[in-house]
Amino acid sequence: MIASALAGGVIGTLALATIIKAAAEAGVTRLDVALLLGTAVTDNRRKARALGYIFHFVLGIAFAEAYAGFFAIVGHSSWRLGALLGVLHALFTATVLVSVLLPVVHPRMATADTAANDITLIEPPGFLMLNYGRSTFLVMLAAHIVYGALVGLIVHL
Amino acid sequence: MRIDGYAPIEDYAVIGDGRTMALVARDGAIDWLCLPNLDSPSAFGAILDSTRGGSFTLQPALPFQSTRRYLPRTNVLETTFTTEQGSVRVVDAMTLPNDRLDPMRELVRSIEGLSGRVAMRWRCSPRFGYGREVPRCEWRYGVPVAVSGGEAIGVLNWDAGTPAWRDAGIEAEIEVAAGGRALLAVTSAYAEPLIFPGRRDVLTRLETTIDFWQSWSRAHAYEGPWADLVRRSALVLKLMIFAPSGASVAAPTTSLPEEIGGQRNWDYRFCWIRDANFMIDALLQLGCHEEARSLFWWFMQATARTVPRLHVLYRLDGGIGPAEREIDLSGYRGSRPVRVGNGAVEQTQLDIYGALFETAWLYSEGHHPLDSDTGAVLARIADHVCDVWRQPDSGIWEVRNGPFQFTHSKVMCWVALDRARRLADRGEMPASRAARWRHEAAAIRAFVEEHCWSDELRSYTRIAGGRDVDASLLMLSIIEYDDVRGERIRGTVDAVVRLLRHDDVVYRYHADDGVPGGEGCFLNCSFWLVSALARGGRLDEATALMTQLAARANDVGLFAEEIDPHDGAFLGNFPQALVHLALIDAAIAISKGRPS
Repeated sequence: MIASALAGGVIGTLALATIIKAAAEAGVTRLDVALLLGTAVTDNRRKARALGYIFHFVLGIAFAEAYAGFFAIVGHSSWRLGALLGVLHALFTATVLVSVLLPVVHPRMATADTAANDITLIEPPGFLMLNYGRSTFLVMLAAHIVYGALVGLIVHL
Repeated sequence: MRIDGYAPIEDYAVIGDGRTMALVARDGAIDWLCLPNLDSPSAFGAILDSTRGGSFTLQPALPFQSTRRYLPRTNVLETTFTTEQGSVRVVDAMTLPNDRLDPMRELVRSIEGLSGRVAMRWRCSPRFGYGREVPRCEWRYGVPVAVSGGEAIGVLNWDAGTPAWRDAGIEAEIEVAAGGRALLAVTSAYAEPLIFPGRRDVLTRLETTIDFWQSWSRAHAYEGPWADLVRRSALVLKLMIFAPSGASVAAPTTSLPEEIGGQRNWDYRFCWIRDANFMIDALLQLGCHEEARSLFWWFMQATARTVPRLHVLYRLDGGIGPAEREIDLSGYRGSRPVRVGNGAVEQTQLDIYGALFETAWLYSEGHHPLDSDTGAVLARIADHVCDVWRQPDSGIWEVRNGPFQFTHSKVMCWVALDRARRLADRGEMPASRAARWRHEAAAIRAFVEEHCWSDELRSYTRIAGGRDVDASLLMLSIIEYDDVRGERIRGTVDAVVRLLRHDDVVYRYHADDGVPGGEGCFLNCSFWLVSALARGGRLDEATALMTQLAARANDVGLFAEEIDPHDGAFLGNFPQALVHLALIDAAIAISKGRPS
């Protein structure tokens, strides 16, 4: 199950990242996961994007393993259950992980305690990441449902 | 002085970062800026609709006079406002990234009090999507942010007043005392979060931007006649090279009219094959080998998709240009329609084959030998030219009532086959087909000499069997079609002077071209006349004309596509690459003082 979860994590994250990027290019959202994650460790744009993609896949695999653990506990796995977990995952990501925790730990993200004075800051995502566009949460939700469904499907196989 | 909210075209200067360009008016308004790229929809488009287009104004609150210059050898603009209360200097730049966490695009406006105390006001009112989209006005921890779809603009200010949103624009007033400084930075993002830089980072980028332009200018020195204008032309042409791909844009604007109130309003934010030819020639002459190499390979890559047939123009990313459409803007001083995309993409223009081969020849001559794969591709194109040169086309001026048998197009087909033969002789193209190219080149020459010459006019004619001339025939001298001091070339130059010249400027033709309305004199044709005169050994005439034309530049050394011969007002898209390329060629032709 660990191996299948790893495969599901890679494929699911690939699909998730593709959906978000496509939505960004279509002008629906300004969410750029790779830039957000990568700039936590470097202020070099190019390196940030490359590192951010790696971080994103590591996180995607970690979440897929967590999904697999949940499937093991309940003794059932399917793409439907994966999609349901994807909904919870999207809510957690949009409300806690990216909106609250990321600005706290991100050294280059503006918070209520900082102002753009003498350091370069990245625009914070805001509640439900709505700062990046009003449809951002819907994009996130759709992407995570696809991610969860793929993880559930691959773990089930 | 603005008319109905529109500044004269000659009142604009341009700043840019190799990805996009902004037009800054003499009164401090930025009325044109496309984001994130040159060919993206505008965020500031007041030059095409003064009420709905969006702009960034910055000027004294009292009546003022202004003078401008570029900081020496840079694309950084300095405007000095003088009022009864004192004077203020504003430095405008689009900063260059430094590989750190830079904004995707950044427009910096630095304000410095020189004397007295001057009340200044500024207002940034972006309207994304060519004025269609009024943005949502929000705040991010004290930073005003305008958002629409995947686009966003943040306006950071340091000591430039207390900004407030009003009518979907962020604005403030400040009083600048002598020695006082304030700073505004507009950062933009597309498909990513905004970056909010600190003041120190903004100022550092401004300094490194100035340093970059100065070192670039030093590396591409030109010390011949009209050096200031040639240097300014080189700098503005560098701005028109889209750095991510190496393609060069014909002009950074769309639909600035060829006649006030007229319909001749076109989108020039694409790369034309023939412009790229002139561009590579100029870049090599100015020693810009990196830019020439980049443009040449963009050229070969873009055309590879359609070989052996070429398109007239390509998008900056190398794709085929989008179809022409009209958008709902009121147009510069009511000049409608406003178009995006360019219908010429669907035309057949045979002269572009000559432009391609002239480019390859010049590139090879510039110590960049062609590899065998490139030579093979060019051979297929040369064979295609042999097949199609007899067809009529829309010609260099992209007439919309054609096709016709344009003399210029035939001659450029001859250029294609002549240069193919020369490259084959040099071993850079397959020699096995050179005999056919030589044979067809001779056939083209015979056609031109028999059908495109008028004994009555003592000139080559605009079209085969025609009875009028065309300024494009001046190119026959520039591309060495025949002896530049010979009777036929000299007669053609004289005919252009006699029939198309008005004072120091030249109309391109007087024929019907299928588009209603009139137009001004084309400045590139005027500079081509200088080049033709100089190459023909008529240096005194060339020098006198060049001196007159140089005086037609605006206060910062820039030219639009056309000029109204009666009042000297600029017309058409601005600044136009082809005019500055022709200016460089003319200055160099005079400096060489001999036929090339």
